[in-house]
Amino acid sequence: MIEKYRGQNLIVRSHDPSELVKKLNQEDLDKLSYVQIHTLGLGIDDLLSWEYAVPIDLVVQNPLTDLPLLYQYAPLLTNHAVRVSVPVAPGFLNLAKLAVSLDFSVKLEILQPDRTLFEEMIQLAHYYLHQSTVSKPIEYFHSLFLAFYHNTPLTLWSIQEEDPTRIRYITDQGEEAVSKRFTEMGPAPDSASLIKEFIEERAALQAECDACEFRVNCSGYFKWPRPDYNCDGAKSVFRMLKDAAIELRKDLAQLGERGENP
Amino acid sequence: MMTGGNCSLILLPTLRCNAACGYCFERESDYDLTMEQLSVVVQKVMDYMDQRRQETLSIYWQGGEVMTMPPAWFEQAHDVVQEAAERRHKQVLNYIQSNMMAYGRQWNGIISSMFGNNIGSSMDFPNLHRKLKGGSPKEYEIIWEQKNLEAKEAGIEVGIISIPNNQTLEMGADRFYSHFVEELGLTSFQINTPFPGGAPSTVKQGYPLDVNHLSKFMVDLAGIWIDRGRPNGVRVGPFDKLLDYFLYGNKDLLCIWRDNCVNEFVCIDPRGHVAQCDCWVTSYPEFRFGNIFDCGNLSDLLRNSQARRRLQARPGLLVQGEDCLDCLYLTLCHGGCPVRAYTATGDLYRKDPYCNLYKTLFTAMEEAAANLGISRPESCTTQRM
Repeated sequence: MIEKYRGQNLIVRSHDPSELVKKLNQEDLDKLSYVQIHTLGLGIDDLLSWEYAVPIDLVVQNPLTDLPLLYQYAPLLTNHAVRVSVPVAPGFLNLAKLAVSLDFSVKLEILQPDRTLFEEMIQLAHYYLHQSTVSKPIEYFHSLFLAFYHNTPLTLWSIQEEDPTRIRYITDQGEEAVSKRFTEMGPAPDSASLIKEFIEERAALQAECDACEFRVNCSGYFKWPRPDYNCDGAKSVFRMLKDAAIELRKDLAQLGERGENP
Repeated sequence: MMTGGNCSLILLPTLRCNAACGYCFERESDYDLTMEQLSVVVQKVMDYMDQRRQETLSIYWQGGEVMTMPPAWFEQAHDVVQEAAERRHKQVLNYIQSNMMAYGRQWNGIISSMFGNNIGSSMDFPNLHRKLKGGSPKEYEIIWEQKNLEAKEAGIEVGIISIPNNQTLEMGADRFYSHFVEELGLTSFQINTPFPGGAPSTVKQGYPLDVNHLSKFMVDLAGIWIDRGRPNGVRVGPFDKLLDYFLYGNKDLLCIWRDNCVNEFVCIDPRGHVAQCDCWVTSYPEFRFGNIFDCGNLSDLLRNSQARRRLQARPGLLVQGEDCLDCLYLTLCHGGCPVRAYTATGDLYRKDPYCNLYKTLFTAMEEAAANLGISRPESCTTQRM
C-alpha cells in the first residue's frame, strides 16, 4: 500500500516491527514522520539493529494486558524517540504512568470516555501537572497546557493528529478517513471543511458548544461519535489544565518582577 | 544514521580470592580466564554490540579478586581489548574492583594505562566481616589502610563501596562519614545494602538489615554529605546521583534502580558462564543464560535463554503484583534489585526488600534538591551497586 503514497509525508503502521525495518526503503525513510507498531511483545531485535533513528509510536491495544510489555521497549530510547499511544480504556491510568516512568512520551487515544474513565483522566492530568518525576509529555494534556499558557488557538484535532487539513488515515482496505475513530464514517471529505461542518451540525443539536469556554481549543472534539455526549468530564480536565497554565504564568511573572531568573 | 549506546560487561577473569569475607555471595573456584578465551569473549561481545549498534563497551573487571592475577596478565588483556576495539571502532572503558590486599607498586602502570588511575575497592566501618583467609577483620583493615595510602601516594584515586552493619547503624552517620572522609581522606564512596546471596552463613542470617534503622542512617548520612562533603567535591553514592537527578534531571542511576538491569548488564565468569551479574553467575547456576564458549554468538545465547526471559519479565510482572504502580518514584525504581529480592524472599517477582529505604531516600533527596535549588552541575559515571 505504501507505493501509492510515496513522496508524501508518511506515518507507517504495522503489527510486525521486523516488517517495517525490512520493507521501508531510503525514499520512504526520507519522508517518514514515524512508524507505528500495533502489536506489542513481538521482540525488538530488528528495531535495535535498525540503522535509522526513526521515531516509534507503540500503539497499545489493551492497557491491562499490554502494560508489562512496555519494559522490553525501553532500550529503544537509546536511538529512537518513542511514544506510547494508549486508548482511554480500563487500565490506561497505570499504563500511562508506567510509560512516562520509563521515559516514553504518551498520547491518549480518546473516544468518549465514561465518568469513571474521566475520573482517571483527571488523576492522570494531576499526575502530569504536579508529579516532579514526570519529564515526558502526556498528550493531549501537554500541548493543551502550552496552548493555554501561550494563549494560542491550538485545537484537540491538531493535537490528536486528526486535523483533516493536515492528515489522513488510510484503512487496511486503502480507504481514506480523518482518523481511526472516523473509520466507520466512510470516506473523508476532500475539503478541509470537516471540522466546521461537524461543529455546525453538532452545535445545531447542542447549544452546549456555543456556550462552552473551551470551544476554541476543543472545537467539538468530544462530540464524536455521539453528539449528545456529556462533556462535563472533558471540561474538568480543560479547567484543570487552564488553571495550572494561568498559575504558572502568574508565578513566572512574579518571579520576573522580583528580578529572579525563572 | 544513528550512533550510540553502551554495553556493560561485568567480567570475572578469576574466581580465586585471597579473602574470606563473612557476607560474600560468590562461590570461589580455581578457574582463570586465559588470553585466548578473553579474545573470544571480546570478539563475541563486540559482535553483539554491532548487532545492537552500540559503540561503547564498559568492562567492569571483578573477581573473585582480580589482583590474584599478575599485572602482566592485565597488560596483555589491555592489548587484546584495545586491539579489538580499534579494529571494530569501539570505545572501551575499563573499571577495576579490587580488595587491594595484593596491591603494590607493580600495579601502578596498568592502573594508570588501563583504569585511568582509579581503583574501586571496598571497606566497611567498623569492619566486622572482611578478612583474609585465616586472618582477622582488624588485620585486614590495617593492610587495607596501608594499601590505600600507598595507592594515594602513587596518585591513584581509590573509591570504595561500603556495606553497613548493625554496629555501623548504632555508631551513626557522623562517625561513619568522619572515618572515611576525614580520617582516611577518601573523596568517593558508595553505600551498598547487604543481602543473603550465595551460601548461607551466620552473618547473612541478619540480612536484610532493619530497614527503618538503615533508613535513618542513610538519611542522616545524606544530610552530612550535603552539608560537609558536597561543597568540597566529596562524592557519596547513591546520594550524589539522586541529587543530580532531582536537581538536573540526569537519570544516571545505580543498576538496582534501572528499569531493567537485564537490558544493560551482562556478566561472564572465567569458565564462560553468562548471567546477569556476579552473584547470579557464581552462586545460582540455574540462573545462568548459557556459556559464551559454547555458543555461536552472544545474541542468540541471550535471546534463547529461559533464565534471561524470566529476568526480562520481572519488572513488568512485579509492578502489577506489588504496590509499585502507585509509587511516586516509579521512574527511579522498578521494583529494585532482582538478586536482593530473590535471595531475601526466594521469589524473583517480589520487590527489593529495601523498598522502604529507597522511598525514604528518594523523598529525602527530593526535599534536599528543592532546598538547594539549581547549582553547579556535577559529572557522573555509571556505578553498580
